Parts: sequence; structure tokens; C-alpha cells
Amino acid sequence: MLNSYLPILMFILVGILVGVGPLLIGYLLGPHRPDDDKNAPYECGFEAFETARLKFDVRFYLVAILFIVFDLEIAFLFPWAIVLSDLGIVAFWVMAIFLGILVVGFIYEWKKGALEWE
Amino acid sequence: MQFDAANLTTILPEITILVTACLVLVVDLYLKEKNKDVNHKLSLFGLVIAVALTGVVGGGERVVFFDGNLVHDRISDLLKGSILIVSLFVFVYARSWLKDRNMLVGEFYVLGLFAVLGMLIMVSANSFLTIYLGLELQALCLYALVAFDRDSKKGAEAAMKYFVLGALGSGMLLYGISMIYGATGTIEFGQVAQAIAEKGLSNQVLVFGIVFLVIGIGFKFGAVPFHMWVPDIYEGAPTPAVLILGSAPKIAAFALAVRMLVDGLQNLHSDWHGMLLILAVLSMGLGNLVAIAQTNIKRMLAYSTISHVGFIFLGLLAGSNQGYASAMFYTIVYALMAAGAFGILLILSRKGFDVENLEDLKGLNDRDSWYAAMMAIVMFSMAGVPPTVGFMAKLLVLEAVIRIDLVWLALVAVIFSIIGAFYYLRVIKLIYFDRPMLNLPELVTTNGVRFAMTINGLALLMLGLFPTALLSLCQAAFV
Amino acid sequence: MGFEKFLFYVFAFITLWSSGMVVTRRNPVHAVLFLVLAFVTSAALWILLEAEFLGIVLVLVYVGAVMVLFLFVVMMLDVDMAILRANFTHYLPLGTFITVVMATEIFIVVGSENFGLVAFPAPEAVSMAVDNTRELGLSLYTIYIYPVEIASVILLVAIVAAIRLTLRQRPENKYVSPSNQVHVKRFDRVRLVKMASENSNFETPAKDTRLDDGVTK
Repeated sequence: MLNSYLPILMFILVGILVGVGPLLIGYLLGPHRPDDDKNAPYECGFEAFETARLKFDVRFYLVAILFIVFDLEIAFLFPWAIVLSDLGIVAFWVMAIFLGILVVGFIYEWKKGALEWE
Repeated sequence: MQFDAANLTTILPEITILVTACLVLVVDLYLKEKNKDVNHKLSLFGLVIAVALTGVVGGGERVVFFDGNLVHDRISDLLKGSILIVSLFVFVYARSWLKDRNMLVGEFYVLGLFAVLGMLIMVSANSFLTIYLGLELQALCLYALVAFDRDSKKGAEAAMKYFVLGALGSGMLLYGISMIYGATGTIEFGQVAQAIAEKGLSNQVLVFGIVFLVIGIGFKFGAVPFHMWVPDIYEGAPTPAVLILGSAPKIAAFALAVRMLVDGLQNLHSDWHGMLLILAVLSMGLGNLVAIAQTNIKRMLAYSTISHVGFIFLGLLAGSNQGYASAMFYTIVYALMAAGAFGILLILSRKGFDVENLEDLKGLNDRDSWYAAMMAIVMFSMAGVPPTVGFMAKLLVLEAVIRIDLVWLALVAVIFSIIGAFYYLRVIKLIYFDRPMLNLPELVTTNGVRFAMTINGLALLMLGLFPTALLSLCQAAFV
Repeated sequence: MGFEKFLFYVFAFITLWSSGMVVTRRNPVHAVLFLVLAFVTSAALWILLEAEFLGIVLVLVYVGAVMVLFLFVVMMLDVDMAILRANFTHYLPLGTFITVVMATEIFIVVGSENFGLVAFPAPEAVSMAVDNTRELGLSLYTIYIYPVEIASVILLVAIVAAIRLTLRQRPENKYVSPSNQVHVKRFDRVRLVKMASENSNFETPAKDTRLDDGVTK
């Protein structure tokens, strides 16, 4: 089974090579003469007013967590889709109830306006 | 593949709660602000139906359903019934508090009902997987309920502490489960017990797993030294959330301990006996001693919880059927007492004013003598004064300990409960012999709340006078 | 076999190293990115154990979704690492002590004596025909029906709790609702009022030259 993952391993290795290699070459071969002004963050010639990180709105978090819930639901769907033809009607209803419960949640978040971006 | 419909009839109470919660969730979206009481009525209706269905499908021999994931026996029947009844009281008490603070929204009931569902799942779980999922379902709802007042910093802090420590406890539990799975190769309690009996596994892996299981149970119960979260969460959380998490979840935690330690690991009793012993002594000691120093009544009740958990462990560690039955009796009675105590706090609170300090109870007798009497019964019962049921519960637990020749432990327990009686009786002194603080607004309650509180208080008295009914149920559960 | 073992050590080393980086990085965003690396290499470890579905789900759910959430949370909170590190040396002795005790215990218990190949022989290799995902589905949707349904309820609770705790109505925000825009009727915007014609040499009152009260143009 693992043999079928060999191409992926190769791909990862080549990806690392292509991604890291040029950076590494540049780092090793390029001239290095850092000073304070060079290292300072650049903001239109002014001193930096504040740190570059700014607080995100909590709404991003809400969207992410709602995404995770349905992402997990998909993870349940894969094995189900493969075995459905063998297990028949019981597995069908198991998934129907599973999705039904989540649809209740979906109705809730839709009506509540959690999917709106005001 | 065939699917047996009997699987579904056994979980009718669970299905009822699930349907009610989903219904409340959807109906609430279409309700106008002034009709929010519909949520309340729907939830109570669902709980009553679930209680009735528990009675209908209850009884009978121990049967395993869902390929060994769920068990139906007398323990599950009795615990399910008591969880549902305690939750009924909880929802009745919480209503006016929520209404005063514009928090009478569907989500409170949805989260509360799902917490109840999680407890029901735990109570009838027959595998580590099911019990863990039930526990997480209940815990997730409780975390959200603790943070329910979004504008309260204290609530958010309490929820954070509860979440981090709760997740730590769950992690410990899961680690222990993985060890036991590694050693026995199964997650079903019956098969775990079988594997241990057959192979005579007394290896270190199992003991190591049990250590983590007991730590997890200790976290969920709030036993010393895993009690750090209890006082802070009781103080910081909104009182209805404390009411929910301080009452019925104790029954579920008891189920957690019984299912895992008794159903699964009874043969290794000698290993977990000592661990529970340490937890019990520390809990009774620290709980009772520190409670005396508290001026905040919610903190005081938190430490009192810790000391009661010690008593519950006394019954469990005895390892005999009589011990388990007495621990079960104690847990159910404690859940009723906690519901009553926090119920009174909710009744006394009103818009813009929460009962936080012991002083707020001063002269309750002059303000409303009936509630004062009920609170007195609850306090007497917690202290273990006859003829209330608290006395009966303590007596049974002590009897179980003495029967396994741990007389010194019984003595320690008696000494600590005498020390503990001090702070319960102090509350009664405040209620009856002190003058009320000036400028207190009038006590407003509804007849429904008064009715529920009356039943709750008198039940503690009647169960103390006639304990046989509940006790025989508990004893029948462990034969 | 030798190559698999080699891969295992490579991935295990990267997992441990990046986990170490997670807790020692000053910049929380870097820490999160190292956590991503740790998850990817643990997914590789799963795949080495021939649990391919778990490996893929780990990448799909953790790397794909949970880490995005982590990044948002890290961005959302204003974490000042200096404050978090202030008590580092204070707690170091106790922390080290507990770590050493726990690690020793785990080594003793999980060591080869109790968990070695003698006590738990390696499972026989399954044939190529066995499909991991399929086997998982077969037990998930026959034996574990009940836990699967509980899992969906837990997901529902996650939705409800997240919305209740973070969603706030913001009446001060102005936004355009496309649905209202589409549904607007002619009568909502323009009203024709029949009235008699006014006097034509109507003089504008002086105060109308001012646009608003107090603001003269």
C-alpha cells in the first residue's frame, strides 16, 4: 500500500527542494551587511506607528468555526459514500439523521444571520 | 444488514430530549420577543415526556443495545429518571432570573437540554467511546452556559478556566482509556472486564490507565486535588448556569465512575480503591475546612460540593454492592439539595441584584418564611441533621465503609461532617436570627417556582423520613 | 522495511522538533505554522502505519480547517509574549520536576517490557485488497451507529455555542441588503402627490439658504 504513496513522497521532496533551495542559495551566496536602519520595518519613511499585527474581528473566528463543523461532516461522508452500496438502507438512514441534525444547525445559523457579513 | 427497532425504543427518552432541543432551537428563531416563554414551556414539556418515557421503557433485565455501545439496566433507568427530574426543577428556577436579564433566549434551553442529553448518554453508556462522547457533549454545553452572559468579564474568565481544566481532565481520561484499550484490546466495558478476568492482567499498563481514569473522574467530580476549577466557576458563572452544572452533572459523573470502574474494572478494585480513598479524605477535609472561611455563598456551596464528593467516593471505594447503592443514593440526594440551594439563590436575586454574599440571606424568615423554611431544610440536609435525607445518605455511606473494616475512615468522615455542620448552621442562623438588610426590594416569585421549591424541600424531608422507596431502587440497581 | 523505518525516524524527528518550536517561538504566528508542520508529519506517520484515511483526515481537518481557526484566534487576541513569559523561570523548577516524573513513569510503563513486541505482537500485514477507508466505513456505519449520531449532536452544539458566544447584532453598522434592494417597489421610493399649483412668484425664505442649522454656506 505504501508504494502508492511513493510519488507523494517524491513530490514532497521536490517541493521542499524547489521551495527551500533558492532561498538557501540566496542566503548563502548573497552579501550580508545588515544595519539597524535596514532591519527596521519600513512605513513610508516614518518611524513605525504601531506593530504590524492588528486585531482581527471576532467574525472571522465564527466563520472559521462554522467551516470546521461542516468540514468534519464531510470527513464522515467519505467512508459512508464508499460503503453505502454494501450496507444499504440502514446506513442511508444513519446518514440522513446525521445530516438532519446538522441541517437544524444550518437553519439556525442562516436565520440567525451568522452567515451574513454586515 | 438488519437493524433491530428495539434499539430505538430504549433510547426514546434521549430521542425526546434531542427532538425537543432541536424544536426549541428552530421555534426560537420565529418567536417574537414577548413570546419567549414558549421556549420554557416547550422544554418543560419535553422533559416531562422524557420522564414518562423513561418510566415506560424502564424496568426489565440488563440488555445491551447498539452492538454493545449502550446498556439498559436498572442503574440507567434510575439515574436517567433522576437527571430528568432534577433538570425540571433547574429549568423552573432559572426562568425568572433569565427573564430579568433579557437572557430568556432559546439558546439557554437548547444548551441546557443538550447537556441533559449528554448526561443521559453517559448514564447508559456501555463503551468507553460512548461515555466519552456523552461527557464531551455535556461538557461543551456547560462551558457555553458558563459564558452565557456575554457581557460579564467574570463569566468569561470562569468559562475559560472551566474549559481549559475540563479539557485537561478529558485529556487525562482519554489517555487512560487508550492505555486500557492497549492492554485489553477492546473499548466495551463488558469485554474489558472479561479480558481482565481471563488473562488475569495485572500488568502496569492497566494500573497506569486506571490512574489516569481516576484523575479524569476526579476532575469531572471536582475532587481534591483536582478541584481548582470548582470555586472559581461557581463564583464567576451566572447563577442559573451554576444551578445546571452543580446539580445533575454530579449524577452523570457518578455514572462515569460506576460505568468505568465497576462495569469495566471491578476486578482491579484493589488498585483503584486506594486512589479513591486519598481523593475522598482530601475532599472531605479541604472542602469542609475551607468552606468555613467563605463569605461568598456561591463559593461556600462550591466547597460544600467538594466535601460531598468526598462522601460519594466513600461509598464507591467500599467496592461492595451496598457501597455503590449508598453512593448512588447520596448522589441523587445531593443533586436535589444542590438544586434547592441554588434555586433559593435564584429566587432571591432580581434585576440588577445577585445574591452573592452570605449577608444577602440575612433575615430571610422575615421576608418570606416559607422559602426560609425550605432553605433551612436544604441546609439541615446538607449538614446531615436528622430527620432530613442528608443524614440518611451519610449514614448509609458510613455503614458501607465500616463494613469493609475502615472504621478510622468513617471516624474521619464524621469529624469532618461535624466541622462542616458549622457553616450550614451559620446560614440557618442568618436566615432566622438576623435582621434583613435595609432597602431590600420585595421578594417576587411566581406560583410555579414556589410550587417547585416546596416539592424540592419537602422531598428532602420526606425522603429522610421514608427513605425505603428510593433506597430500595438504588439497592435493586446493584445486585 | 529499512526504508520505512528510516522514513519513520525522519518524520518522527520533524514532529518532535516542530512541536518543540511551537512552544518556544516568540511570535505566535510562527508557532501556529510550526504546529501545521507537526500535523503534516504526524499525518505522514499515520500513513506509514497504513491508516491512510486518518492521515488524510488529519490533513483535511486539522491542517485545512483547525489551523486556520488557530491563526484567526492568534490574530484576534493581542498576545503579548513578554507578559506570558514573565513567570517562566518562576514555574520552571516545578514544571521540570513534573515533566521528569511523568516522562519516567511513561517510559517505565510504555517501555518495551510492557508494550514491546512480546506483549503486543505486530498485527499481520493486510493484503493490498483491503481498503482502509472502506473498513472504517463498514464498522462506523454498522457497529458504531450510536456514537456517530452523538458526534453529529456535538457538532450541532458547537454551532449553537459558537454563534451564541460570538455573534452580536451590530445596529450601528450600515450595510446594504441585496434582497431588500431587489424587492423594493416603485411606490416605496417615489410618491406622486396631486396638488394644486402654487403661487409662481414664490420667494425663497432666507433661512433656506442655510443648509443645516448652524452651518452656513
